[in-house]
Amino acid sequence: MKPVTRRNFLLQAGALGASIPSLASIGGARWSGALGGDGSALVCIYLRGGADWLNMVVPFKDKNYQAVRPTLALGEDDGVIAIDRKWALHPALTPLAELYKQKRFAPVVCVGSPHTTRSHFDAQDFMEFGAPGNRTVRSGWLNRYLGRSSTAESSEFRAMALQELLPRSLRGEYPVLAVPSGLDRKKGSSTLDRFEEFYGDGMPAGGEMEGERTEDNDPAGIVRSGRVTIETLRRYQEIVTKSKSEVEYPKSRFGAGMQNIAKVLKAGEGMEVAGLDYTGWDHHAGQGGAEGRQANMLRDLAGSIASFGKDLGPRLDQTSIIVMTEFGRTVRENGNNGTDHGHGSGVFVIGGGVKGGEVHGSWPGLKDDDLYEGRDLQVTTDFRDVFHSVLESTFSFKVKKGFFPDYASRKVSGLY
Amino acid sequence: MDGMSIQDPGAPLSPRERAIHLLSRLSFGATEESVEQVLQQGESAWLDAQLEPAVEGSPALIAALSELPTVNMDSPAIYEWVNGEPSEEELSLEKRRELNRRRRLPREHLLKAVHLRSVLSTRQVFEVLADFFRNHFNVSFTKGGVSDYLITDYENQVVRMHLLGTFADMLRASASHPAMLYFLDNHLSRRPPSKQELAEIERNTRRSTGSRQRGAEAALIAAQRGLNENYARELLELHTLGVDNYYKQRDVIAVAEALTGWTFNSGRYAEWDFRFRSDMHVEGPKKVLGHLVREDRDGGLEEGHDILKMLIEHKGTADFIAMKLVRYLVADQPPPDLVKSVAKVFRKSEGDIQALLRAIIESDDFWLRRNYRTKFKTPNEFLCSALRSLGAEIIDPTRVLRVMADMGQPLYHCDDPTGWYDTAESWLDPGVMARRWQFAEELAANRIDGVTIPPDFYQSLPAEVPRLWQHHLTKRLLPSGAGQRTRNALSTVTDQYLAKAKVADVQELGPPLVGLLLGSPEFQQQ
Repeated sequence: MKPVTRRNFLLQAGALGASIPSLASIGGARWSGALGGDGSALVCIYLRGGADWLNMVVPFKDKNYQAVRPTLALGEDDGVIAIDRKWALHPALTPLAELYKQKRFAPVVCVGSPHTTRSHFDAQDFMEFGAPGNRTVRSGWLNRYLGRSSTAESSEFRAMALQELLPRSLRGEYPVLAVPSGLDRKKGSSTLDRFEEFYGDGMPAGGEMEGERTEDNDPAGIVRSGRVTIETLRRYQEIVTKSKSEVEYPKSRFGAGMQNIAKVLKAGEGMEVAGLDYTGWDHHAGQGGAEGRQANMLRDLAGSIASFGKDLGPRLDQTSIIVMTEFGRTVRENGNNGTDHGHGSGVFVIGGGVKGGEVHGSWPGLKDDDLYEGRDLQVTTDFRDVFHSVLESTFSFKVKKGFFPDYASRKVSGLY
Repeated sequence: MDGMSIQDPGAPLSPRERAIHLLSRLSFGATEESVEQVLQQGESAWLDAQLEPAVEGSPALIAALSELPTVNMDSPAIYEWVNGEPSEEELSLEKRRELNRRRRLPREHLLKAVHLRSVLSTRQVFEVLADFFRNHFNVSFTKGGVSDYLITDYENQVVRMHLLGTFADMLRASASHPAMLYFLDNHLSRRPPSKQELAEIERNTRRSTGSRQRGAEAALIAAQRGLNENYARELLELHTLGVDNYYKQRDVIAVAEALTGWTFNSGRYAEWDFRFRSDMHVEGPKKVLGHLVREDRDGGLEEGHDILKMLIEHKGTADFIAMKLVRYLVADQPPPDLVKSVAKVFRKSEGDIQALLRAIIESDDFWLRRNYRTKFKTPNEFLCSALRSLGAEIIDPTRVLRVMADMGQPLYHCDDPTGWYDTAESWLDPGVMARRWQFAEELAANRIDGVTIPPDFYQSLPAEVPRLWQHHLTKRLLPSGAGQRTRNALSTVTDQYLAKAKVADVQELGPPLVGLLLGSPEFQQQ
């Protein structure tokens, strides 16, 4: 089955999309066309393992900071990039400094969950389902957005993750594409053709007889999943093989992922939400300061995001990037040149009309009394409020009561 | 025989269906032969035979394992095998490269052994249990460092050693094994140094470097050394009680304190074994889960044992392990009553693994039709079952292991201490299927390096009646049958081929049919 009409429509919408920025920026109001065809999009990057936020956006002048981190602390000697009197970026985040200067990069400090868990898996679940402490919610906050804002004309291509498995934020009822990295493109597409009869929508002869699949005898959703796979991967393959990037990205898995997201966005297929995980931030030992494990990963992260920003050009103003992690780490280093699971962390919001060039969120400080349980960063901004702001501002989507269960979310003041 | 037809959901499974169900959950894929075997032997006799701690299995497996020299070595032996005799001279670039290459081999050997056993072992129940507990007490090579020396021994002495024993013994073995202590940083966890020790560090560094400042810095760094909560937390959360069940942050800290000093010997000539260092131990009373830990004034080692005992006897551990095992073997939504009764068995027996297994298999819940063919195979299960049902010859599993990694489940490389999730929800994303189809076709076409379908695989098909081939192959690869749509799809391929081919050749039509069968929805279920 080839949804030809829809495709054609999408292509038109994409062509329109290219001329939208000027329209979109008028008075902050956004033209909200069908299919999310105004080109607005959200790229959600998850740093798995609990990234040490305190060494990313650094209170470099704070004496307490220098005192509690004898091997990890970053100072002016380490080449930190001061962005105002109080704050500096880790030297490996230099590529983001330009976006900060352009006022398109807004760090929010002390973001997190009201739940006290220091378990990676709970903290990730709670955050990605948007429901701290609630174990009955099993749909991701982004999936809920997709479900609630979908229309009959919504693109099947609205959401994807550039990895084998979806992040939890994208799991749920609404079908989201996971793009397997190992798929050989040419061979892959004829494979899709051959499996269409097993999984596709086309009704084979006799299909209406006994044995036709229904929801009831596809309990795990295998057939449904196969069908969506065929439809969306076909188009994805076309896009990434045909389009070329002018911009160079870091040669890394993460860089390649960001590059492919840019290609799909530029193709104007009505993609609204993309997810990409970055694993390995659980630096209990050997984290390092200006150089080291965390620094190497930050360099890749920042380089890839900066390339993505260049690649998108003016379109970045309709595209929000958020970078998050499940929790921050202990304020004190642990003596193994690392840090343990903590509480408050932070979020990067980039592009999409965010009010960048300043550090958002309130900052209690690093004295013992200012810390959460005497050891971790406080949470002064609930992550759901950040998500709320980003959804409303990126997509003109009204976040209603109940979107985040048992929580009345609101915008983060001044973020947009 | 109809795999997807609508049946009375209350109808009991037929004897053949029961055999298929048992094998789907307790082996890496039911094959025609194994179904016959269960039908002949009877379910419980089959299970008894599987749990007999006798030979490792098929001659093919024994031959394949014999080419992996490090799989039965302990850690010091692996260290020596990798590094050889110490040399006084500086190593040439070539020598160093050789050394680096060699350092990775024990890991390769282990991954291959795990995979080969899953596919080829005749003791399939043992291998399925190994898969579960290896995942439950996850350690990973991604930790780097000395992991390569340690994990082979962990597989042998922690996972395989206790599979037919008790959970309690396996937990104790994991807690004191260097691979776990290293993976979750417990070997680093210690009491903060005393003033006296700091002064000594300051003095020694100052003397050796001749710099007052370097001395002060060294002391400052040393002063930060202390408790590392990583293992303590995962011990409570992942290995025993389940997340946030019964424990709080203060319990995590108390457990971490009690376990300070649990470290291991390392380095050349070392035994790479558990070592308790009382000089790292945090002294003083500790309260865990409301109980005072028996204070061990004789160094502190016993405090850790006391906590493990407490955890083994805790109701929460029984509930959590029972739930996970039932989820793994029965249904993604584990039936609560079954979990309860399995937990009861756990508490009576310190988690006797065979008893837990029998409690599940002998329950009514296990055999309900609503649990039949409803688990989605993980990548590991999919790949192993594909190779098993073809009777594939495995010359070198490297390529298959790489595909498994591509599919998101690299053996012994799960970063997260939690291990892999075993529910469909965690694996079944749109897109995932494409990688499976691709592999299915490549395997059927003999294009996966290192594995081949034996030439006689198609021999038993009736050469003269090509229209029957799809049915014979279906019977072999999908013992529980194919649905209407799958049958139609196979017919279409047969028709297209016969319309073009002058002479029907099973070597031509066979592989595409096999590829489609392995990629069919039915083959993804177990």
